[in-house]
Amino acid sequence: MFFTIFSLEIKRAFRSPMLYIFIFLLAFMCFMAVVSDSVVIGGSIGAVHKNAPHIVTVFTGVLSLIGILFAVAFFNNAALRDYQHQFDEIIFTTPLSKAAYFFGRFFGACILASTPFIGVYIGVSLGAWIAPIFDWVPAERFGPTPWAAYWKTYLLIVLPNVFFSGSLIFGLAQKWRSTIVSFVGALLIIIGYIISGNLLSDIENVEIAALTDPFGVRTYSVETRYATTVEKNTQSIDFTARIVQNRLLWLAVGSGILLLSFWSFSPQKNPSRKRKAKKVKAKIPELSSGLKHKPKLEQGFSGKFWSHFISFLKDAYTSIVRSTVFKIILAFAVILLATDLINGFEYFGLKSYPLTYKMVDAISGSSGIFMIIILVFFSGELVWRARLAHIDEVISATPHQAFSQLLAQWMALVAAGTILYGTFVVAAILAQLARGFTFIEMDLYIGEYFLNQLPNFLVFGALNLFIQVMVNQRYLAYFISVLVLFLFDILLSILDVQSNMLSIGDGPSTFYSDLNGYGPGLTGALWFNAYWISFSLLLLFIAGPFMYRLKVQGLASRWSQARNVFKGSYRISTLVTTVLFVSIGAWVYYNTQVLNTYRTSDEVEELLADYEKKYRAYADYPSPKISAISYAIDLFPKERRVEVEAQMTLSNSGTEVIDSLFFTLDDDWQTEISGKLDEAWFDEKFGFKAFALNEPLAPGKSIQLTIKNTLEHRGFENGRGSTSIIENGSFLNNGAVLPNLGYNKNAELGDRNTRKKYGLKPKDRMPELVRDTCTEACMVNYLTDGLSDWVAVETVISTSADQLAIAPGELIEEWQEGDRRYFRYRVDQASQNFYSFISGRYEKAQRKWKGIDLEVYYDAKHEYNVERMLDAIQKSLAYYTEHFGPYYHKQARIIEFPRYATFAQAFPGTMPYSEGFGFITNLEDEEGNNVVDAVIAHEMAHQWWAHQEIPALMQGGTFLTESFSEYSSLMVMKSESDPIQMREFLKYDIDRYLRGRSSETEKELPLLEVENQGYIHYGKGSVILYALQEMIGQDSVNAALSSFLAEYRYKNPPYPNSLDFMRHLEPRVPDSLHYLLDDWIRKITLYDFRLKEAEQIAQDGQWQVSLELESFKYYSDTLGQEQPTPVNEWVEIGFYRDSEEKELIKTEMVKVNKESQELVFTLNQPAQKVAVDPRRIYIERVVNDNVKSLEDTSEE
Amino acid sequence: MELRISGLTKVYSNDVKALDEVSLTIGKGLFGLLGPNGAGKSSLMRTLAGLQNADSGEVFLNEIDVLKDPQEVRKVLGYLPQEFGVYPRITAYQLLDHLAVLKGISNKKQRKELVSYLLEKVNLYDKRHKSVKGFSGGMKQRIGIAQALIGDPKLLIVDEPTAGLDPGERNRFHNLLADVGSEVIVILSTHIVDDVRELCPQMAIMNKGKIVYHGAPEDSISSLKGQVWQKQIEREEMEDYRQKYQLISEKLIAGRPLIHVLSDSDPADGFRQVEPSLEDVFFTRTHGSVLTETA
Repeated sequence: MFFTIFSLEIKRAFRSPMLYIFIFLLAFMCFMAVVSDSVVIGGSIGAVHKNAPHIVTVFTGVLSLIGILFAVAFFNNAALRDYQHQFDEIIFTTPLSKAAYFFGRFFGACILASTPFIGVYIGVSLGAWIAPIFDWVPAERFGPTPWAAYWKTYLLIVLPNVFFSGSLIFGLAQKWRSTIVSFVGALLIIIGYIISGNLLSDIENVEIAALTDPFGVRTYSVETRYATTVEKNTQSIDFTARIVQNRLLWLAVGSGILLLSFWSFSPQKNPSRKRKAKKVKAKIPELSSGLKHKPKLEQGFSGKFWSHFISFLKDAYTSIVRSTVFKIILAFAVILLATDLINGFEYFGLKSYPLTYKMVDAISGSSGIFMIIILVFFSGELVWRARLAHIDEVISATPHQAFSQLLAQWMALVAAGTILYGTFVVAAILAQLARGFTFIEMDLYIGEYFLNQLPNFLVFGALNLFIQVMVNQRYLAYFISVLVLFLFDILLSILDVQSNMLSIGDGPSTFYSDLNGYGPGLTGALWFNAYWISFSLLLLFIAGPFMYRLKVQGLASRWSQARNVFKGSYRISTLVTTVLFVSIGAWVYYNTQVLNTYRTSDEVEELLADYEKKYRAYADYPSPKISAISYAIDLFPKERRVEVEAQMTLSNSGTEVIDSLFFTLDDDWQTEISGKLDEAWFDEKFGFKAFALNEPLAPGKSIQLTIKNTLEHRGFENGRGSTSIIENGSFLNNGAVLPNLGYNKNAELGDRNTRKKYGLKPKDRMPELVRDTCTEACMVNYLTDGLSDWVAVETVISTSADQLAIAPGELIEEWQEGDRRYFRYRVDQASQNFYSFISGRYEKAQRKWKGIDLEVYYDAKHEYNVERMLDAIQKSLAYYTEHFGPYYHKQARIIEFPRYATFAQAFPGTMPYSEGFGFITNLEDEEGNNVVDAVIAHEMAHQWWAHQEIPALMQGGTFLTESFSEYSSLMVMKSESDPIQMREFLKYDIDRYLRGRSSETEKELPLLEVENQGYIHYGKGSVILYALQEMIGQDSVNAALSSFLAEYRYKNPPYPNSLDFMRHLEPRVPDSLHYLLDDWIRKITLYDFRLKEAEQIAQDGQWQVSLELESFKYYSDTLGQEQPTPVNEWVEIGFYRDSEEKELIKTEMVKVNKESQELVFTLNQPAQKVAVDPRRIYIERVVNDNVKSLEDTSEE
Repeated sequence: MELRISGLTKVYSNDVKALDEVSLTIGKGLFGLLGPNGAGKSSLMRTLAGLQNADSGEVFLNEIDVLKDPQEVRKVLGYLPQEFGVYPRITAYQLLDHLAVLKGISNKKQRKELVSYLLEKVNLYDKRHKSVKGFSGGMKQRIGIAQALIGDPKLLIVDEPTAGLDPGERNRFHNLLADVGSEVIVILSTHIVDDVRELCPQMAIMNKGKIVYHGAPEDSISSLKGQVWQKQIEREEMEDYRQKYQLISEKLIAGRPLIHVLSDSDPADGFRQVEPSLEDVFFTRTHGSVLTETA
């Protein structure tokens, strides 16, 4: 019997088109993702083969989310078909066994819902076969057909996912006999997935995330977070412990649900009948109205539009808010928001204060999917409401204007959205209060509503209603809605259309900052809102005449109905709306396309490619270097205008006579260059301008130029526009305020594939490390790219009277002229030409330390951490001046800037630090060191590493700046922390390195040759230097650093490279440890230590611990291909008093030179745990096997 | 007050002729529209209510062109469709109140009185705050009748109103219709002959989209006078009789068929002449379709 039902279920589906449509859908998506770089499923592919096992696994995993829909389709159908066709009473009176029916249907649907995934394999195989033939993708980007990945993903991802989601959907459908409840089940699963994703944001929780993801997608990404290119090309998901654990867990949960629903499954009982019996109210009714005669009536029909509207609105509104679906969505939404608020870690395990704008961010992050569900689902419900209730003919026969109903449905959708948002706000406020945070900014909640939420409700509500009315087939309309919502933007991006006028509901970002409010995009956003709202009104006017009224439908009769309605005042209102929409549209168009222009990403690419082809040659033309600049900068924050006048001294430090100068101008700025030179020619398209010098510039001579540069903003733009000059918190880099001298190499396209598309040769990320004496290549440093060396800078900067303006160097004087405030700054020590100009309404906190002014400029709302920041500057200065050498500026400033970007950066004596982290991070519960201290220590360290010495532009450069700074920061931390606390910091650095190398798109290099790769110079570099000082002592490492610095401090070129540092380091390392320099700095080395056995025996008041330790060491090539190599290392073994691994009672260095060896230790007190490498200084991918618990075998 | 239908024709996309050159003139009072299922009654009703287009023909309610200006008709229309459902989670009172607003009664107090009055009329006043969805079929139908009476309809169209009503309810409904019937045009479409016999001074019989009879019920009955013969037979004999006689109808009485045949002269063979009923007219006009009705 089971097999009859089972095979019937399958045969039936194979005859219907649905299955084939699903297969085609997946095949098509995967095919596109394989043959083109613009279609992306689950992250870009990079250096990995486009059909690598890893890619197949990622595709299958990500598409499992879509697979939920297949599951709903098949399982819901399997469970409910008989009831919907009222066939249940017939089928359940046949002698069919309950189990055969139940499981036959279920497993049949299992097979069906998993079959569409064959599409993934078809798509990938087809893509890999066809793409090279048509030369869409070069053949070398494909590997062999990943057969193993196909069957393994099917077995490990597809089937378990279908089984689990199917059991839930099937169970719910059986229980409630409702399609809607099935959808709710699907939603539940997706929310589970999202929650497990929230967990993933902190590395403390990765294992929980790996276990709790019902799809296993995150399990796989945790499993492969450190996988290298080679591994991704060769290994797919496999039967590893973590994967199997997760799969078994969810299979078990699924089986539980399935059995539960089987036990409660009773074919005879129809639960909906039971519900019907429930009465609404139990009040004793009044039995008579007392009215015996028909009352007199005033029945009128003119001007009744709004009373109809209100009655329709009440009806539509109550139908939404009373529906189970709405309540369930609301509940889910709150759950999702709550997990976001509870688990939302920001950075290194620290949370920020629950500022209202953070809450608003969380809400807009959570609300999107629910808003879409509500608008799509209920638009269909409302449009079909009368028809589904079979009251349509009665309603249609009343003399109402259909448009009043449409408008009411629109407003009901808006009301539903508003309730959703309101619920979010209440939840968010409760979360704020629960954390003891009382500074609740209601205006931000309200502002978000009117700026973003309400317009979205209006626009997407109208759009969905429009689709429902025009399509006039409920499920097809749902499908089209989803297509429009998700695919329309993809289509626009494929067509390279970036105008927000075509991207439904879009406009400039109004991302809120405490410094700068809704920012420069506000005006534009308001106009775009007006544009889209008038558009949605127009949609409704178009849909109105086509609204369902006639019982018998058909194109002709709908058309004649529409013509019948579209007349009189309706026609006038439609025309007025059209005029409104067109005029707003024209104004928006004028502002965004005429007054302000922008380039699409394809246009930018092409422009850059052409620029390179045309002007690359000028890069080799001899050019003078900037040796001094004096600025007069006037900032007008309100008007968003900048006027710069710079006196620039250019010196010919080369050996040739220079007769011409070239500049690349930024077309946003008005630029005038004057001096003893004449404009020769100007290529406006690229902003490339050539000048002939009146007198050729001989070597050693210099020339003065005056450059006037003005930036103005008019009207509003398609996007938010530049955030460099804004109302409060302007931040201008020196590179931005002046035209680029000569050909701008930094503008060149970097991506290998993009370059190929435009016929450009691949570009090296960095010039190669010069191994012998470096002269010519070392004349250029990586900050200024040969345009300048050490530069003297003086600035007079003015801003509005309410603001402070900050320029590099020491503040010499300050005065006021009219409503302008002036400041004069001078750089006290000639530095790199790399700094910024900042202006804002700042509070200023300061203290003096050994003659240096420590200053923090911050927004009045953000004084939380200011004192700690000053402490951090002071601690850093103390350590660095003691170990590395003097500080050369008279001030050390931290300046807050709006959170349009999230970083901190070091300029000479000045460190801009984003509002988005640090200033609002909650450090109240932090004892000792924390990430804010670490970031400040890092930026302070740059005052030595990057600003006193600057490496040549070649491989290894950032080793001498970023790695040194990160190491210095760790050392400042270490001076106040114990090894256990340090281990927590190092953990993040190691994670950063291992993750980074896993997503490397070209090749990983040894630290010595790092090519500005963050994961190497921050992550690996800091760990290596830190480990080194653990091995040879901090004094030795610091001595190497300070003697290296002494040689190159503020020294004119040639600049140093990483080998110059090795020259200083090597003598400090004992010969016996020289191999470490090879393993750690010159090679890519990974370790793997495992404690296999550990036993503790008490003996005469002492405790003997014997261990079995396994040790492995691998050399990796640049693609991650590993080569085992014999171990011969000094490794520390540590014993913990407690099981929380907080207190080390004994550590001992041991030499390991065998893959497996026995070790015996004697302790004076019992230990709870033993660990190999307890400080985590070795780079290992798997660390949880480094620790073993010890039984306390003492007598008591 | 007069409703003039002329040459009304509608062909559905599946080539079914729902209305075939229908012409009728209907004045004040109750008008019965009789026909078997699928005769085109509902199509005609819907067309009159402005819920369906016609391919050709004209319908005028006094001066109102019903097909061109359905909105004007709706202002004076009371309509109970054949299929009448209700919104979930809404009480009887809320439903009628909503519909009263849509029918242009915007004075709140009047609306309240009207709705109460109508609920009283259909004997549901005590259940006014109960969810309509939970009502029995008959109660729902009564709500449907109440809503059709909202306002002062000049044209009341009721499509199969008595289906699902128990005899008591049906009686009450007939009284209600008779109340309003003197003032306005009431079109009652039904396949239940008794409804028409009890209520309608004028009637039409429809079959396959055509009007096959139009006139007073008595006239139609008298036209059959002396031609209807009746006999109770055995079930096995059915085929024989079907061959031999012009069968009007058959129904089972205690398990045995009672047949009516049409004949100008006495067919003998045990047949007994009976007074023709409207039912005989109905079956005769609709081509003696073999409809089995249990008595």
